[in-house]
Amino acid sequence: MSLSLLVQALLNGFGLAMAYVLVALGLTLIFSILEIINFAHGEFYMVGAFVAYLAFGVWGLPYVVALLAAIICVAAAGVVAERLVFRHLRGKTLNAFIVSLGLLWVMQAAAQLVFGVQDKSVPSAFSGIVRLSGVVISVERLAVTLAAATLIVALYAFLEHTRTGRAMRATAQDADAAALLGVNIEAVSALGFGVGCGLAGASGALLAPIFSVSPSMGALPVLKAFIIIIIGGMGSLPGAVLGGLLLGALEGVGTLFFSSAAVNLLGFLMVIAVLLLRPRGLLGGT
Amino acid sequence: MRTGLSVVRVVAALASVAAMAVWTPAAAADKVLPIGVLGPLSGGAAAYGLDTSRAAEMKADEINAAGGLKIGGDVYKIKLIVYDHKASAADAATAANKLVSQDKVKYIIGNTVGATCNAVQTVTEPQKVLFSFMCWGTKNLGPDKPYSFRSLLSQWEVAEPFYRWVKEKHPSIKRIAAISPNDTSGIDTNTAVVKYAKALGFEVVADEYYERGTKDFYPTLTKILALKPDLLDVAAAPAGEAGLILKQARELGFKGAKGWTAGVNPVPMISVAGKEAAEGVWTPANIDVTSEFVSPAVRKFGEAFVARYKEVPGAIAIANYAAFDVITKAMVEAGSLDTDKVLAALTGRPHQTIWGPVVIGGKDTYGIDRQFLYPVVIAEIRDGKLVDLAQVAPIGLKK
Amino acid sequence: MAPRHAAVSPLLALGLLALAGVVLPLVTRDSYYLDVATTIVMSLLLTMSLRMQISTGQLNMAHISFMGIGAYTSALLAMRAGLSFWLTLWVGALVAAAFAVPIGAIALRLTGPYYFLITFAFSEVARLIFNNFFVDLLGGPSGLVEIPPPRPLLGVAFTGKLEQYCLMLALFLLGAAILVRLEYSRFGLAAGAIRQGELLSATLGVDVLRYKLTAFVLGSAMAGVAGGFFAHSHRVLHSSDFGLEPMVQLVIFTVIGGVGSIWGPVIGTVLMTVASELMRELRHYETLVFGLVLILIMLFLPDGLVSVPSRLVRALARTRARRGAIGVDVAT
Repeated sequence: MSLSLLVQALLNGFGLAMAYVLVALGLTLIFSILEIINFAHGEFYMVGAFVAYLAFGVWGLPYVVALLAAIICVAAAGVVAERLVFRHLRGKTLNAFIVSLGLLWVMQAAAQLVFGVQDKSVPSAFSGIVRLSGVVISVERLAVTLAAATLIVALYAFLEHTRTGRAMRATAQDADAAALLGVNIEAVSALGFGVGCGLAGASGALLAPIFSVSPSMGALPVLKAFIIIIIGGMGSLPGAVLGGLLLGALEGVGTLFFSSAAVNLLGFLMVIAVLLLRPRGLLGGT
Repeated sequence: MRTGLSVVRVVAALASVAAMAVWTPAAAADKVLPIGVLGPLSGGAAAYGLDTSRAAEMKADEINAAGGLKIGGDVYKIKLIVYDHKASAADAATAANKLVSQDKVKYIIGNTVGATCNAVQTVTEPQKVLFSFMCWGTKNLGPDKPYSFRSLLSQWEVAEPFYRWVKEKHPSIKRIAAISPNDTSGIDTNTAVVKYAKALGFEVVADEYYERGTKDFYPTLTKILALKPDLLDVAAAPAGEAGLILKQARELGFKGAKGWTAGVNPVPMISVAGKEAAEGVWTPANIDVTSEFVSPAVRKFGEAFVARYKEVPGAIAIANYAAFDVITKAMVEAGSLDTDKVLAALTGRPHQTIWGPVVIGGKDTYGIDRQFLYPVVIAEIRDGKLVDLAQVAPIGLKK
Repeated sequence: MAPRHAAVSPLLALGLLALAGVVLPLVTRDSYYLDVATTIVMSLLLTMSLRMQISTGQLNMAHISFMGIGAYTSALLAMRAGLSFWLTLWVGALVAAAFAVPIGAIALRLTGPYYFLITFAFSEVARLIFNNFFVDLLGGPSGLVEIPPPRPLLGVAFTGKLEQYCLMLALFLLGAAILVRLEYSRFGLAAGAIRQGELLSATLGVDVLRYKLTAFVLGSAMAGVAGGFFAHSHRVLHSSDFGLEPMVQLVIFTVIGGVGSIWGPVIGTVLMTVASELMRELRHYETLVFGLVLILIMLFLPDGLVSVPSRLVRALARTRARRGAIGVDVAT
């Protein structure tokens, strides 16, 4: 077991971790503000990927435009979903669960009807490989990591330093108290849902050129997102980043020694361990 | 006053309709033959399921347009009944039950996804329903399942001739790595590849599996490539995932030979992998309907399929189309819809199909002749197109 | 403390259900209808026991895994040890309950969404084990095949759809009777109190953990019975039979029916199963329609289908009141 192999394995794990963290952050934001777990979150990720496929792959617009288009379209879709459906389900976990499942099926079936079932490929926006003493770094993955990290930092700035962001955090902490303080809960919920979905859509658009695009592509990322926010702590942004890095490390290095099924098993055992020992997650606060 | 006149009008209308029904000469006694098709029509495996059902639709429409099937003294129009089992074994059993007891189906032509075939067989075998499928797995065929057929070459027919060809034409290749999804077809394919490659003298350095739906293969590829294989076989990976594996292997620096033992549809694979990563991939038993090497019949089928469904068909579609063809012709020849009689007309002689001549054999492998056998065409992907290199006999077919 | 009052006497409701179940095979012997009916009755056992757990404030996403434990245990004992189904069925249920004790004790240290997530994690661990580990024993991704059917009992063979339906009906009615007895006893009162407010209940002296754990283990045993039946009637087991998709289906049936009433799952399971069988004709539009149905029902009937009768009654009362106030027929 050479050092360069181990380093490569770690880099493999970290390479796309930030993109998954984006998905996780969207999920946890929605959970914090509306107290519901949106199972259709992976489908918003998928829509972002398809928007990127159309804008960049089919219509040939510049990649940055495609990325922005994906974020805006998916965020808008999220706001619509919240206004039409989810606002009535605030706090009703069971009902929201069923509704989000229904939405999952509707979105997947619609995507299949519109785009067909075969995987679509999206051309790469960046190409090139950097080789450093036996370790391979894909420029594309590096670009994705940087873009995702930028969005994460932007989200942090938004939540900490803007009035709307602080209103969101207040609502997440205690919706009733926030309402008493004059926060427009309805608007914050809609916006929060939109931002959460927008993050998932961004991730989908970022990963579209690296993976292929298909209607069922949202299942695995959303599963990873759940694991990430459990480990890192629901409602914690730095927690999600840490969770993403830990999961990435487990998968990257674990695959060297174990079968893929065993690595998955370890991931879930890690989840159980964290839930038992530190249910709020490693960096979960309140 | 509305009542009186309207009653008269209604009665008159009804009377004229009744009269027409009595006086119109009865249409030529066209009976209906229900034929069932099963498959995953939604979810991750939908590409296989839709290839199955669409091919059946095309053949059924062709037969009906040509006047139907003349069996015994009657003419039958085919009515296709298609159900989605969403890749769930329990759902497949219920759907099969509905086909057999509700829809009165005696023939189910088409199904994919390993465990579902076993589930369907628990319904079809006891009721003597003929079941033709494309699932991979040794347990699907056997003397205890006389009404089950596989219409697509499986890894048990293909792996040995393929690796024998590799050994003869490319003797410098010694180390093989195989990667497949972690499900029935993946495990069976890797098992066949490992068994036959070792028997032929190759060294199998990696026998790896990934969870279905995986898109990031860097971790698994890093592990495999560290073992320095000469040939990377993406074995049973479906088109999209095979394309990703090859693309990412190239990014990680792999420059060796590439194989795709169980590949069935190169066009989407090449689209995902990109031309450079797909260049040089060897694939037996695959088919590219747009290639200049295929027969006019296949080309015509491909064009009609694309025109109707806007997606390119793979080997699964062609296999089900051929099965539909062969089985309906056997019904005509047997002059009966009784499955035992049709069984007798099917087995024991070659059939002319869109693949060319097909023999139903496989007794040495399965204990009973129920596997469709046709030549294994070993092809290489060059510049985004499939180029035929050699034609060899599958296991079980004595050329 | 008097047990809760129900709108309809629970014994009467149970009796009606039993009657309907017994009448069905008199009306039809069609193999497909019996097959669907058997599936419905098996799902009823699963959803009613799930609902019992939900009534104590826990959404147990590993319910299906205990069905799996019961299924594999019963199948393997019959195949490897040559034991009779009539014994292995109950051993399977006991083994499921035995696993439920430590798993429940661990999981129930958490509440709400955390409990949901940890039970989900357990269910994935179980599924991965069924699919990828102990392959010689459990069958791996190819599944466990050729499970023997139940041996003949009292001269009756259990290989046909009719006999299997009757067996499942009997098992279900047994389970339902237990659940009804529980619901309208002190257990039901305590469960309701726990669901309304855990902290308050604990302060009032309710041993919250004991009730929840009892519900967890009992529900798991019932799931194990359903699993044993499933194994020997389907004769093929695969890890996907005990994964997220079937578990989600159970939750949907239960919640759509309505968790407020013990009969909610009955309405939900029957109607949704029949609806999805009818929707088979839609082929690849099936999923789309099903999804829309879920969304619409949850939006317009948040308490589930079981709330329809009371809503109708209230709507009628409102119309009558309006009419009375104005003195004229409002609806023309």
